[in-house]
Amino acid sequence: MKAAAGITFCLLVLFASSPTFAHHAFAVEFDSSKCSDLTGTLTKVAYENPHAYLFVDGKNAAGEKVEMTFQLSSTSNLKRGGATYAALNGSVNKEVTVRGCLSRNGTDNRYAASFVKLADGTIQRVGQDVEGIFGTKIWR
Amino acid sequence: MKIYLGVMLAAVCLLPLTTAGQEQEKKPFVQARGSVVPVPLPPGGPPPKMSDGHVDLSGVWFPGPTGKANAWSILPEQRPKEDPIPFQPWAETKYKSFSRVDLELGSANVNCTPVGVPGMFTDNAYVHQIDTKPGQLIHLIENNNRWRVVHTDGRPHKSKDDLEPLFNGDETAHWDGDTLVIDSISIDERTWIRDGWFHSDQLHVIERLRRPSLNYLEYQFTIEDPKVLTKPWTSAWITLSLGHEDLTENFCTRNENVEQLKKLAAQDKK
Repeated sequence: MKAAAGITFCLLVLFASSPTFAHHAFAVEFDSSKCSDLTGTLTKVAYENPHAYLFVDGKNAAGEKVEMTFQLSSTSNLKRGGATYAALNGSVNKEVTVRGCLSRNGTDNRYAASFVKLADGTIQRVGQDVEGIFGTKIWR
Repeated sequence: MKIYLGVMLAAVCLLPLTTAGQEQEKKPFVQARGSVVPVPLPPGGPPPKMSDGHVDLSGVWFPGPTGKANAWSILPEQRPKEDPIPFQPWAETKYKSFSRVDLELGSANVNCTPVGVPGMFTDNAYVHQIDTKPGQLIHLIENNNRWRVVHTDGRPHKSKDDLEPLFNGDETAHWDGDTLVIDSISIDERTWIRDGWFHSDQLHVIERLRRPSLNYLEYQFTIEDPKVLTKPWTSAWITLSLGHEDLTENFCTRNENVEQLKKLAAQDKK
């Protein structure tokens, strides 16, 4: 009985701890089966809404030298998670590595980013869990 | 002591997540500092009162129980248990016909259009600021810098001749004990209740806000829509918690998703 009550309480706490519903689902637009680590030079940061973007010159998953676009979360989520304007812009013209999932609509070199390793070695989470790394991939 | 026990219990409850954590190590970049295990706030004591004796709902309120942003939570998104939406048959067919791309393309957040009522709560993952004084509630949400001002003195709705479709509708509110009840009609049909749940010009939204303790705000809504539903429907109570941060600017100035999703929709139709 005590065990059952304990499990019930734990479920309640876990349930109460659940995040709220997302702005919208990246996993619709981006392919969770086509994700890879992509390295190159960060050329520009667009710190805007509803999504910020990183532009990176580097090699895509096919090994071709290209300009890649990475969609991030909103500036609200980025700054509260530590990926501030200054933190991201500090890596402009330097090498970064981004975990990105390719767009499903065929647009070349357009990705959703979940994490970025900045030039100083710090790693920031910057976008939705398209791959389901945390089991939090969002499908409505 | 109670707080300590609460945190300890929460930690014990979250132990199974360490397995997920070990699995994460196989993936790249999962040690990012933004990935957090949420810990609920304690109740914090009784809620404050306004000079008229009603509960003061003022505060910066984050969705969920942590008093912080939860976007990087490592817990899966969950919905509370609720009754099925009592759609009329034609409406059920239409609702179920929406693909995931349709839902994205119809979303106010994807289009940067007003979320309306109850979308200020149901279609908003971001932080709220509520300021109340006797007779008035000001509701700001960070998401796209949206806002509404509601009279809470129980005044009637505008006369039929003065009504017009508005995204937040014609709103009036009254106190039912310690619960603020916001009553809205004449709501623009371009809004959704949430996730593709469309409505008619006969939509009547009844929202309830209460503050059971200092650190918690609770929200519930009832939908009446005789052209779309067979009977009224009431949501579960949604929990928000008190934060100590300012809202930040969030204008929609670079929306690339609509065109990208249209391209995807055209591709899916081939």
